[in-house]
Amino acid sequence: MKSGSNLERVILSGQPAVTAELGPPMSADGHEVVKKAQLLKGNCDAANVTDCQTAVVRISSIAAAAIAFQQGLEPVMQMTCRDRNRIAIQADLLGAAAMGLKNCLCIAGDHQSFSAAGRLKGHPGAKNVYDVDTCQLVSIMKKMRDNGLQEGGDTLEIAPKFFIGASWTPMGDPIDFRPVNLMKKVNAGADFIQTQGIYDIEGFRSQMEKIRNMGLHERTAILGGIIVPRSGMMLKYMDSSVAGVSVPKSLIDRMMKAKAAAGDDKKKARQLQEGEGKKITVELIHQVLETPGVRGVHIQAIEWESAIADIVKAAGLYPRPNIPAE
Amino acid sequence: MSDGSIKEKNKPHKEWAAELKEQRPYSPCRAACPVNTDVQAYVGLIAQGRYAEALEVIRSVNPIASVCSVICHHPCEQACRRCAVDEPLAVRHLKRFALEKAADYRRNKRRLVKQTRDKKIAIIGSGPSGLTAANDLADLGYGVTIYERHPVLGGMLSSAIPTYRLPRETLQEDIDDIIAKGVEARTNCEIGRDITMNEIIDKHDAILIAVGLSESRALNIPGADVPGVLLAIPFLEDAAFQKKIELGSKVLVIGGGNVAIDVARTAKRLGAGYVEMVCLESAEEMPAWKWEVDEAVEEDIAISHRWGPKAVRRDNGRITGLEVVKVLSVFDSNGRFSPTFDNDTTSFIEADTVIITIGQMTNLSFLEDSQVQVDERGRVVWDPETHMSSLRGVFVSGEVVTGPGSAIQAVASGHRSAMAMHVYLEGHEIEGVLPTYEKEPIAQLPGDVADVIHREPRMKVEHLPPETRCSSFMQFEFGYDEESALKEAGRCRGCGGGAVVDTDKCMACLTCQRICPYGAPLVTSVSEIRSEYCQACGLCAPECPGQAISMVSYDVGEVRSNMSSLVGSVDPKRQEPAVVALICSHHVGIKGFELPDNVRSVPIHCTSRVDIIDLLKAFECGADGVAVVRCPAGACKYKDIETRVSARVRRTKELIHMLGMDAGRIELLQAVSDDGNPYAVVCADFSEKVKQIVLRTGR
Amino acid sequence: MIVGSQKPIDEIWEMVKDFKKILVFGCNTCVAICHAGGDKEAETIATLLRMRASQEGVDMQVDHTSVMRHCEPEYFDPVMDDVKKYDLILSTACGVGVNFLSDRTGIIPVYPGINTSFYGAVPEPGVFEELCAGCGDCILHMTGGICPIARCSKTLMNGPCGGTKEGKCEVSDEMDCAWYLIVERMKMLGTLEKLSEVLPPRDWSTSRDGGPRRVSMEHIRAYEEKEGEKTETAGGKKE
Repeated sequence: MKSGSNLERVILSGQPAVTAELGPPMSADGHEVVKKAQLLKGNCDAANVTDCQTAVVRISSIAAAAIAFQQGLEPVMQMTCRDRNRIAIQADLLGAAAMGLKNCLCIAGDHQSFSAAGRLKGHPGAKNVYDVDTCQLVSIMKKMRDNGLQEGGDTLEIAPKFFIGASWTPMGDPIDFRPVNLMKKVNAGADFIQTQGIYDIEGFRSQMEKIRNMGLHERTAILGGIIVPRSGMMLKYMDSSVAGVSVPKSLIDRMMKAKAAAGDDKKKARQLQEGEGKKITVELIHQVLETPGVRGVHIQAIEWESAIADIVKAAGLYPRPNIPAE
Repeated sequence: MSDGSIKEKNKPHKEWAAELKEQRPYSPCRAACPVNTDVQAYVGLIAQGRYAEALEVIRSVNPIASVCSVICHHPCEQACRRCAVDEPLAVRHLKRFALEKAADYRRNKRRLVKQTRDKKIAIIGSGPSGLTAANDLADLGYGVTIYERHPVLGGMLSSAIPTYRLPRETLQEDIDDIIAKGVEARTNCEIGRDITMNEIIDKHDAILIAVGLSESRALNIPGADVPGVLLAIPFLEDAAFQKKIELGSKVLVIGGGNVAIDVARTAKRLGAGYVEMVCLESAEEMPAWKWEVDEAVEEDIAISHRWGPKAVRRDNGRITGLEVVKVLSVFDSNGRFSPTFDNDTTSFIEADTVIITIGQMTNLSFLEDSQVQVDERGRVVWDPETHMSSLRGVFVSGEVVTGPGSAIQAVASGHRSAMAMHVYLEGHEIEGVLPTYEKEPIAQLPGDVADVIHREPRMKVEHLPPETRCSSFMQFEFGYDEESALKEAGRCRGCGGGAVVDTDKCMACLTCQRICPYGAPLVTSVSEIRSEYCQACGLCAPECPGQAISMVSYDVGEVRSNMSSLVGSVDPKRQEPAVVALICSHHVGIKGFELPDNVRSVPIHCTSRVDIIDLLKAFECGADGVAVVRCPAGACKYKDIETRVSARVRRTKELIHMLGMDAGRIELLQAVSDDGNPYAVVCADFSEKVKQIVLRTGR
Repeated sequence: MIVGSQKPIDEIWEMVKDFKKILVFGCNTCVAICHAGGDKEAETIATLLRMRASQEGVDMQVDHTSVMRHCEPEYFDPVMDDVKKYDLILSTACGVGVNFLSDRTGIIPVYPGINTSFYGAVPEPGVFEELCAGCGDCILHMTGGICPIARCSKTLMNGPCGGTKEGKCEVSDEMDCAWYLIVERMKMLGTLEKLSEVLPPRDWSTSRDGGPRRVSMEHIRAYEEKEGEKTETAGGKKE
């Protein structure tokens, strides 16, 4: 065992792992984190706590993860390369480990200009850091854990033991380089991978075939990313605007049909689309899990954490296994 | 207000450009002119309506400019690089136009030149060469006396060239200029008859013999004597001085040169019913200028080519005609005049008067008692390097030594001889200091440039219809009206007047190379703008970020530096806005400059030269609005101008907007082509818009 | 070359409005090429400032001049006597020039007339592209000649990130993804396998992060020191 986290134990057990996502609030509202943690607790093996996702200031991933941890939900803290140099990163990792956090996902982070795709003011004038990139962050974390050394070479008397994750966009451009991209993260030391949201199962499976040929699926645990669709518009937006995500027309049509069935009734339209969205999610979970080499799913119900319980149950992934620590 | 630059002022643009032009190949027109008249410069000035300045350029090298404006054989036109595009520029017509337009200015400028030197100079002969020398020497402060055997000055210009080509008032303009300087003219004074050469030599410090070729060669064939056989020069002189001339009804002119044409056309005007010319040469070989031949043919003058005169036939003393023999060839294999005949083929041309016009010679009998040597062939012995004869202090110039040539060639000779006399009187060596007028011209127009030049036919001048003109000696050729002249001047491609780079300022940024529509700049370590490519549009200069590009033909800083005086003091209580209009001066017609009172116009050489700083300067000087006005649609003589100019106007809008001014205060406008006053309407509209902006936003 | 762009005239005005005699001092090398601060733009700014002064009813003299470079003293030394007659120098050189000149004008302040942007190339007239960030440790041989430090929005050494869409960066559709270009270029060069290696965290001390940098070429400067020239021309000591 590298970290002894619940997520690591489930993955090692060979059962399909389930992670979810918890978006911290944009204010000092710890109760919101508590509330969301309660919604997710028991419905996943661990929940990612995002790190100022979409380049918007929120409760820090570490602090929110600590709150979730107190609530009995195992967090996957996230660490972007955007906001910290290697000194701050390592300091935060030590602190997180000291508070008992055991999973960490390494990501580059949305560029500071993103500002929730322009819906919020954000901080487009911020200076970004990118002292290290994702691969390098993974390697730093591995070096700390396995060699007991800081990146600069100083010794760590007590090393932080993290189960190290990285993200992967299987269908991003340039598509034929994406397997190499994954390989580099695995070579750097990624224990698990959470992918960008998958709607195009065919495309995903074709990339996974390459991954299997490279043997990467055995060296890391790939959790397929599922973004729960909430409306037809959301699917259309993701298809047109989110990098590395393409949504088959059939799925968009299903959602639009659900919307149309409600006529002018907006509330009903929302309910019908949410219902259809959950159905689609369950189908996607099954299709992803049926894909050889996939070891679990990462279900993101963005600002809709309450949906997770239903989805996990409907997918037959409930209850979550309870594997005691050694 | 400061002038905005702490740099040391360069010398005035004119001076700078003149020096620069000397260092670079000449425009082909200028190189072709025997006195290197800066044609490109004065045509450019005409295009901008600056006629007095054009006159100054012309007169600076040519004292008989008015004469040349009507009779010059214009080698400038033959050399014009526009020939590679369509037709050459009508330089001579433009010269005439400028001189006519600036006539009052010219007359008012006539001044006595103070004699500052105590040396006396005699000039024998008052043809182009003598007049030129008199002019130059008077300018230098010498006391000059012209001796002329005829009652009027001008030599052949007044005594032989028919007035339908050269009206005497035209000639008089040139003579008046020269006489006004204090040159003394002794007319009706023939050396050897009224005064001896030795007397002249005794009374003067230097003497110039410029007697020209004033006698006609006779023809040694049977029957070629009086009565009924005339010689060209006496005939033309009699016509010029309106003496009675007996002409038959069928006049035959022997000869194919320009004088022969003059003779034939004069005969026609004297009432000869039928005039025919017979010459050795074919139509192509004829030495007369083609246009003069064409004009003669228009006047119903017949020309028989390739016949040589054999005998004048008479019947009872009265001429019946000329027996002629077939010409086999005129020139030998070396191109020398050496006619051969087929004596078996003869013909007969009926005529009752025969005028022999086969060439001229000089009469140097007046030198007989002097120490001025004449060689065995009757020519003055001289040194072409010094213009001096065998007698120190006696100089020669013009056709008497150069042989037959054009008026302007004689002017060149006159300048050289005047300079030689001056240097001699100053006690210096003459050899090597006289101007040669031989300059390298700019290379031919590259084909890819010629291909993109806008085709514009040459503006024609009107002639009196042949039937009218043959009935009098009235000048048959009209001059340009102003609109035609401006249009024609606009055809000039400005060879040699284009862009030059200050290599101290150039940082080889490639902007000019990228912008030039003609591919003229070549940037290596610095930019070199190749003059054979450059069309002098001025597009590059305002784009140069180092302000390293100047234009030879105009001062790129001129608009800026003159803006303050142009805008003047603006009445703070003005009702109408103060508008500055920078107007393309090409293709406009003079009416285009008649604008509403509140619009100050700046005629410019194409809007391509407009600089953002020029536009800002207008506002800085108090203008309420600024218009850049292009020539009418399709009229622009340059390529790809609009994109750059409109980008500059857009940028200026941004800049004035930054100062809180309404961007509508500056616009790029285009003249309306079908309006008699193409710029007035658009300027008035713009002025109204500016007025509204001012009302809305304040000054 | 160094690419800059003009500051808005309002901003310049706020800087200069309390001075009476101002020289807009252009630099005729890099910033002239990018039409930001050469002789021409210096004159433009001077004109705009005079217009603004007149609008504000302020009595102000604004002149302009320029030299080939502001970053080497030999270029501006000949005009320094004239330059020092002004109350304020508004330099339209890049920041290098402004700093360098400012060290040599004694009590006369030197203010910036332009914003210095980047080291760039000119792919077409009027377009300037950042291609180098001057990080002091070139890795272009490993990235197909395309610099991820200058051209990737996140300076990733092991890109691309997940934000690439149709070859463009997540920051803007107008911006090429440097890593997309790198991958395509290296594919073409047949060296794609080089990208399989994880490039380790880099040493940024060669970049500006190491503090202001200085290159001192002993073989070039040695003789000058002997001549004692160094103290004469060293920053600020000339006064």
